[in-house]
This record gives sequence, C-alpha cells and structure tokens, in this order.
Amino acid sequence: MRNRVREQRTQREMSQAELAAALGVSRQTVISIESGRYLPSLPLAFTIARFFGLTVDKMFDPDEEAGT
Amino acid sequence: MMALIRPRLRKPLGIALAGTVFAAAWALRGGHAWQLSVAMEVTVLVSAITTYVRAGEDTDDGALAGSRADERQKLLSLRARALGWNFAMVAAFIGVTIGVAVKAIWWWPFLVIFAVAGFGQLLGWSTYSTADEGPADDASPQHEARSPAS
Repeated sequence: MRNRVREQRTQREMSQAELAAALGVSRQTVISIESGRYLPSLPLAFTIARFFGLTVDKMFDPDEEAGT
Repeated sequence: MMALIRPRLRKPLGIALAGTVFAAAWALRGGHAWQLSVAMEVTVLVSAITTYVRAGEDTDDGALAGSRADERQKLLSLRARALGWNFAMVAAFIGVTIGVAVKAIWWWPFLVIFAVAGFGQLLGWSTYSTADEGPADDASPQHEARSPAS
C-alpha cells in the first residue's frame, strides 16, 4: 500500500522526528510507515490524514505498491 | 500505582523487585545458597541499571524498555513474545514426548509448562475473542424482512 506521508512531510519541510512528535509516535514508526513496512492502525491513519489536511483514502492508496 | 512511577523507571524497578524477591528466596534456603543469592542480586541490579540506560535510547528497544512504546512497537513486542511462547510450547511438547518415550522421571515438568501455556492461550481466547462475539445481524427477523430476496 502506497502512502503520501513522506511527500506531505517534505512539502512542509518537517523532519521525521518533528512529525513523530506531532503524531505522538516514535521516529522509527514514521520511518516504517513512510517506507511501507508498517501499516498504521485506523485511528493512527486518521490522525495522519487529519494532520496533513487530507482524507485517509487520499493519504493511503491500497491499489499501489509501496515505493512505486 | 504504576502511574505514580516515571515510565522510564517502571521496567528497571520491576526487574529489580522481581530479581530481589528471587534472590531473597535463595538466601532463605540457608547454607551456602546465600553466596548465590548475593551474586544473583548483583546481576539483577546490573540488569536493572542496563535497562534504565537502554530506556533512554531513541530506539524501538529503548521505547519498550522505557514504557513509552507506540502501537507499532507494542505490536513488535507482542509478536516477539508470541514467538517465544510458541517456542516454549513446542519445546515442552518435545520434552514431554521424549520423557514419556524413554520412561524418564523428568517428563512431568514439561507437561506442566505445556498445560500452563495451553491454559494461557484458552484464557487469551476467552478474554480477547469470545467477549467480542455477537449474533450475526442476518439472523435477526428485522434483517430478513429487509432482504431483497424475501
């Protein structure tokens, strides 16, 4: 599943540590989500989407493979 | 109670407390067991201090040691413990099977481990699975009345 976390974060010129602090998760978890190694829970997915002002389906695309 | 203790201190204190109780049990045996008890207590304190230091690191392991793990780190911990539990069950099964086959007198501790593991798993099922079950909504008369097939 592809997501736009890295893209949105870099657009806002945020570091992974800053995003992690804003979302209340660890920096390692942000790295794992960005690389597609970890699929966040639904509540966390909503938190991420709301943080970037997007809907969950805009933030996470189930039809695309991570890294494509 | 746990809320009163700083997250970083929780695991180290737990290790120190459990280890001290176990070391005290050895000391209570009497005889030369007190020497082992002292060595055990030193090891436990070193382990508790090491855990405290690890808890300050910016790693998955550090987050778990510092009781500040997020959902992914808790899942990692859960998976690791589940794997350990599976290993314990398989080892206990092999132990009890070999013990029975060779008519050994040491077969029953393996059976106890196997039984406790099995009981724990049943307890887990009853706590986390069965409690969430409910009747299927298509079993209700209201749903049948709304069905386009009827």
